[in-house]
Amino acid sequence: MTLLAVTRLELRRLFVRPLGWIIAALALAELGWRFALLLQLFLLNQVRLAALPDGPGYTDLVAVRLYSSFITGSPLPFGMIELALLLVPLLTMSTLASERSAGTLPLLFSTGLSSSRILLGKYLAVLVWLTLWLLLALTVPVSLAHGVALDWGKLAAATLGTFLALAVLAAIGVACSAFASHPAVAAVAALMISLALNCVNLGAQLAGINSGFINWLAMSTHQETLLRGLVSSADVVWFLLAIVVALALGTRRLAADKERD
Amino acid sequence: MNAPKPALSPVLQLEGVTRRRAGRPAVSDLTLRLEAGQVLGLLGVNGAGKSTTLAMVAGALRPDHGAIRLQGQDFLEHPELARHAIGWLPEAAPLWPELTVREHLEAHGRLRGITGARLNEARDMALERLELKDLSRRLAGVLSQGQRQRLGLACALLHRPALLVLDEPANALDPVQVVALRTLLRELAGAGTAVILSTHQLTEVTTVCDRVAILHEGTLCHDAPLPADQHAALEKTFFDIAMAGRAQAA
Repeated sequence: MTLLAVTRLELRRLFVRPLGWIIAALALAELGWRFALLLQLFLLNQVRLAALPDGPGYTDLVAVRLYSSFITGSPLPFGMIELALLLVPLLTMSTLASERSAGTLPLLFSTGLSSSRILLGKYLAVLVWLTLWLLLALTVPVSLAHGVALDWGKLAAATLGTFLALAVLAAIGVACSAFASHPAVAAVAALMISLALNCVNLGAQLAGINSGFINWLAMSTHQETLLRGLVSSADVVWFLLAIVVALALGTRRLAADKERD
Repeated sequence: MNAPKPALSPVLQLEGVTRRRAGRPAVSDLTLRLEAGQVLGLLGVNGAGKSTTLAMVAGALRPDHGAIRLQGQDFLEHPELARHAIGWLPEAAPLWPELTVREHLEAHGRLRGITGARLNEARDMALERLELKDLSRRLAGVLSQGQRQRLGLACALLHRPALLVLDEPANALDPVQVVALRTLLRELAGAGTAVILSTHQLTEVTTVCDRVAILHEGTLCHDAPLPADQHAALEKTFFDIAMAGRAQAA
C-alpha cells in the first residue's frame, strides 16, 4: 500500500513537471517523423518486395523498425530505443537525487518506509510513464492494421523487447539517481552506463574481440532477438537480471543514506 | 501553566544513543525518556547535536550505538513503527516544490497509510488547524518561509502521531502564528501527544515545555522538569553550560 503511495507521489511529480511532457511530446513527434519515412520507403519498394517469396512486409519494415535502428542500420531518425537511451536518464535523474538535494529523502525515511520500497515505488512510477509512452507509440503502426497484413506475433515480441529495454534503462536511471547528489550527475552517469551496456560488444568487435561473454553482456544482443520476433527465455532472463542488479545496487546505496554523515 | 503531570507510560526512550558525523561524535551516550503528554524542550548552541538527535528519533538516521524504544518497542528493529507513531518537522521544512499544499497533505497521508474518507477528513482538519485553507491549491514552491513552516507542521500532525518531533518549528513564523503554535502544542500535549521541541528561543521553552534538556557537544548536560516562571533560572543554566564549553574550547 505504502509502496503505491510512493509510486503515486512520484507519478504526480512526473506529470506536473514540464520536463516529462516536453520529453514525451518531442519523442512522439520524432517517432511520427520516423514512421512517415519508414512508410514512404515501404510504399516505394512495395511492388518489388511483393515479388519476393517470404519477403519482408509492413511489420518488418515499418512497425518493428519504429522501435529501433539497430536492425535497420539506416540513417533514418532515431528509433524508440535509441531515443530512450537519451531520454530515460532525463526522466529518472530527479527521482532520488532531487529528493536528496531538497532534503525530502529523510522525510520519506521517517514514514517508516524501507529503502527498497522507496526505490521500487519510484521505479514503478517511471515504468508506468514509459509504458504509456510505448503504448502511444504503438498506436501509430497499429492504426494502419486494417489496411495492411500485420504480423501480430512479431509485433508483440518486438514490443516486449522494447518494453524490457525501457525497463532496464529505467532501473539504471533510478539506481544512478540513488547514487547521485545532483540530478545532472545522475543523468550523465545513467547515459554513460546505458550506452556502454548497449554497445559494449560493438567496441570489442572493432578491437577484434568477438567474445561470447561480451556479446551476452550487451543489451543490443538480446534486443535484436526479440525485435526479430523470437522470444527466448534466456533473453528475458538477461533483462530481468539487469533490472534486479540495478535496483539492488540502488537500494543498497539508499539504505546507506541512513548510516552516512 | 505547565502543571506537573502524573507518571505516564513512556512514548520514547533513548538509551546510550551515540552517533558520529563528519568524523566526530555528534551525539554521545544520550539517554532520555519522554512520556505521553509531555513537551520536552531541547536546547543547545549550534552544532550541539539537537538536529542529529531529532533525525534519529524520527527514524531518518540510524545511531551508531544505543537503543531507541518507541511505545515500548525496539524502534531500530522496527522502523515501520514511525509510520503511525511519529510526526517530524525537520529544520527548514523540506517540501516538493511542484506539489500543491493539498497534494502535500494527501501524499503524506497516503505514505502513513491513511486513505479515502479518513484522508479527506485529516487533510481538511490539518488545513483548518494551520490556517492553510486559502492556500490549499498553491504550489509549495511559491510559499513564503512561514507558510512552508506551517505546511510542514500540518504534514507532521496529519496522522495524529503519538510523538511529535519538531526542529525549530517557530522559525519564520510571525508573532501571531508563534502564539497559535504554542496554543496548538499545549492542546496536543493535553490530548496525550508527546512533543520534542528543538529551539534556540528560551522563551519558547519556558512557555510551552514541561521539561528541558540541554545538549552540549553531543552530550546531555541538563535534563530536568521545568516549573512555571523559571525563565531566569533556565537562562542562567543554559549560559553556564554554553560558556563553560566555550571556555574549555579556548
